[in-house]
Amino acid sequence: MDQEARNGELTHHVSKKPKLTRCISEAEIRDEFSHHQHGVARINNGSFGSCPKSVLADQQKWQLKFLQQPDDFYFNSLRKGILESRAAVKDLINADDVGEISLVDNATTAAAIVLQQIGRGFTEGRFHRNDTVLMLHCAFQAVKKSIQAYVTRAGGSVVEVQLPFPLASEEEIINEFKKGIEKGKKDGKMIRLAIIDHITSMPCVVIPVRKLVKICRDEGVDQVFVDAAHAMGSIKIDVKEIGADFYVSNLHKWFFCPPSVAFLYCRKSILSSDMHHPVVSHEFGNGLPIESAWIGTRDYSAQLVIPSAVTFVSRFEGGIDGIMQRNHEQALKMARMLANAWGTSLGSPPEICAAMVMVGLPSRLRVMGEDDALRLRGHLRVRFGVEVPIHYQAPKDDGQPQAGARDKDGIITGYARISHQVYNTLEDYEKFRDAVILLVEEGQVCQMLLTE
Amino acid sequence: MDTIGADTKISNTYLPEKPELSPTLISDTELLSEFSHHVQNIARINNGSFGCCPKSVISAQQKWQLEFLKQPDDFYFNRLKDEILKSRLVIRDLVNADHVDEISIVDNATTATAIVLQSVAWEFLQGKFNKGDAVVMLQYAYGAVKKSLEAYVTRAGGYVIEAWFLFPVNSDGEIVSEFRKALERGKANGRKVRLAMIDHVTSIPSVPIPVKELIKICREEGVDKVFVDGAQGIGCVDVDMKEIGADFYTGTLNKWVFCPPGAAFLYCRKSNEIDDLHHPVVSHEYGNGLAIESAWIGTRDYSAQLVVPQALEFVNRFEGGIEGIKKRNHKAVVEMGEMLAKAWGTHLGSPPEMCSSMIMVGLPAILGISSDSIALKLRTHLRNNFSVEVPIYYRVPGDGVVNPVTGYARISHHVYNKPDEYYKFRDAVNQLVNDKFTCALLAW
Repeated sequence: MDQEARNGELTHHVSKKPKLTRCISEAEIRDEFSHHQHGVARINNGSFGSCPKSVLADQQKWQLKFLQQPDDFYFNSLRKGILESRAAVKDLINADDVGEISLVDNATTAAAIVLQQIGRGFTEGRFHRNDTVLMLHCAFQAVKKSIQAYVTRAGGSVVEVQLPFPLASEEEIINEFKKGIEKGKKDGKMIRLAIIDHITSMPCVVIPVRKLVKICRDEGVDQVFVDAAHAMGSIKIDVKEIGADFYVSNLHKWFFCPPSVAFLYCRKSILSSDMHHPVVSHEFGNGLPIESAWIGTRDYSAQLVIPSAVTFVSRFEGGIDGIMQRNHEQALKMARMLANAWGTSLGSPPEICAAMVMVGLPSRLRVMGEDDALRLRGHLRVRFGVEVPIHYQAPKDDGQPQAGARDKDGIITGYARISHQVYNTLEDYEKFRDAVILLVEEGQVCQMLLTE
Repeated sequence: MDTIGADTKISNTYLPEKPELSPTLISDTELLSEFSHHVQNIARINNGSFGCCPKSVISAQQKWQLEFLKQPDDFYFNRLKDEILKSRLVIRDLVNADHVDEISIVDNATTATAIVLQSVAWEFLQGKFNKGDAVVMLQYAYGAVKKSLEAYVTRAGGYVIEAWFLFPVNSDGEIVSEFRKALERGKANGRKVRLAMIDHVTSIPSVPIPVKELIKICREEGVDKVFVDGAQGIGCVDVDMKEIGADFYTGTLNKWVFCPPGAAFLYCRKSNEIDDLHHPVVSHEYGNGLAIESAWIGTRDYSAQLVVPQALEFVNRFEGGIEGIKKRNHKAVVEMGEMLAKAWGTHLGSPPEMCSSMIMVGLPAILGISSDSIALKLRTHLRNNFSVEVPIYYRVPGDGVVNPVTGYARISHHVYNKPDEYYKFRDAVNQLVNDKFTCALLAW
């Protein structure tokens, strides 16, 4: 595909299938990711993502272009390039208007933007003290801290919705969410914002966002913010269908952009006009997309290569849809392989997984807390060259775990979140499988593991 | 290279602990090569806007980027924090701060400003400051700073006061007396001045400000805190935190200290009061101190922050290090400024001793620069038709002045500049004058 196509023109609309002469080959894929450290089973695409060489090369071209003549770049190239990137995103997520799309560094930044706006509602007296913000208990830690910094500090209160895990069906999620809404509206309070993950981070499940957004609308929730950090490139996104006010996803996790770039979609409404980037430049007041496109002198190249990433995915059979389908299938296949080998189970049904799956770890490893989980992760990295995040799931209060969360030796309290991206191979997961089998055979428990 | 190296005093003024100077200084050929990626054949006399980055630092940065991409989890868990600390230590030494805790690395001065002003906003919102309490700034403060004051201070109930002084400037005294007046206005009606925001060197028009003197006045007049915007600081003027005595100081590293875009610092003097400063992009590090918060604001490319030691290594390949560079820049820019003013029959925007590595040079009145937008159009015209890159400032003329000089060019000088570039600019303007060009022609 023509890598130079991005110059001055928007050439890719993902709704039209690009004409391919042939798809990217296995050898080419290996080459594109040959900078990944060899000998590491990199089964954690979900944390930091990945970026192929051809997109990195385009990024370096943009970086160089700025350094060659920065004034000219600033006056003549930057805005155009950012607008092209925003237009590419608009097509990918079925938004109505490019004015609804802002580019920011990451979901963490988007959360700060949305929550700062909510905070102003409290400090400027438009919201009542103790009106609520609703979130999932397993929301990303940065989001929780952002709520503390902007909402709690300003007098708002927070309601957490428990995400049951392991999960048997998405119904469990919906029921817990409804309970959370009731709690949020208790004593005449208004729910000013509901923050709903599209794909939770840890533990990882796909949330039925469309249904939850509808419940929010039915229940009079003011604004809904979908934190879809993982979504772009791992699950289909249709923002009109989902119907949220704000929707953010990173592009450097699953959409092959370099660190870092995310889009924040803001549905056109009177509310969204008070959205501001917290780093205020001379563009303040010109709308969030314009504000975000200039927050002082820095490197905007990650935002400028979105069209290059679109070109990259079009080299695969079925484009991004094909990639998502295959990642989903392979992730499940590998998860089942691991669960079978270890005698454990998956953390959720296949239909609520995307390209990441939670796989139960043998109870004999005795993952008894967060520290153990981190220790096991470090040990796997250092001793076995396996990179995979480990989640600790406390057994229920009554001592009885959820159905199915047992293996022959006891309660399953540890889960590995395995990812599958185009560069992963069977060997990666076999390496992980064998590492865990060995640890169990050696009679190791997490507390004893060395991580130096 | 050991960046916490020997103490090398070069002149009588105190210098922070400096890294060992390179045994061989950079040669002319090497210098040319280091900046060979700059578009050739243009007069790039605007280092002040976006700075510059030599090839060896670009290459170091790419190595850092690759380290992360190779195995990001490992990099995040095992290396990132330590490496950012190394950069902070280098900056601490460069600016003579007491403690590395006082140094946070941020993208740019714009971000640093948002951090400080957001904390001021909270003080208003939470009633610690009274509505109407003042924040004083300079009229020539950077555009982004003015907007940040609007977004955070005015919106939260604070009252923003501008200290005006005339440009061209003839002496420090003019600036000092206007500043005093502004402080008085700030204190009128029982108000308190909660923050004074002072540029170390204003951006455009570019004038170095006597910050030490102004800060002394602030202390005498009971101003709560002082924030110095040193975006054009290091490499332009002397930057010594203890000497200057500000509560907050922001400086960029990509303009004059050879870092790639996205490297700046915010210095926060340790005090008995708890400074409730936070990075506006809140991560899981919230509450662990600004420096730690700023070192992780979500997944992104931190490589510009990581190359600071390598950029300082580059600085020290020049005779006299940063001091030597600054002195030579100052000398050259004054020389070139005077050459231009003489050639055009105009004048400098400030006396030679009141300039940094940039200087304002009056443009011939006959060009008829009549507004900000016309000034921008002239800048574009110079870029497109003469290959000269230089920002133009429009000065509203005083009443009754005949044939006023209303346009000033801000010329910069950095290590890669050559006299030919300034001759090119001289000749371009002379040609415009000879062709009877007036800016009215640009007003389409």
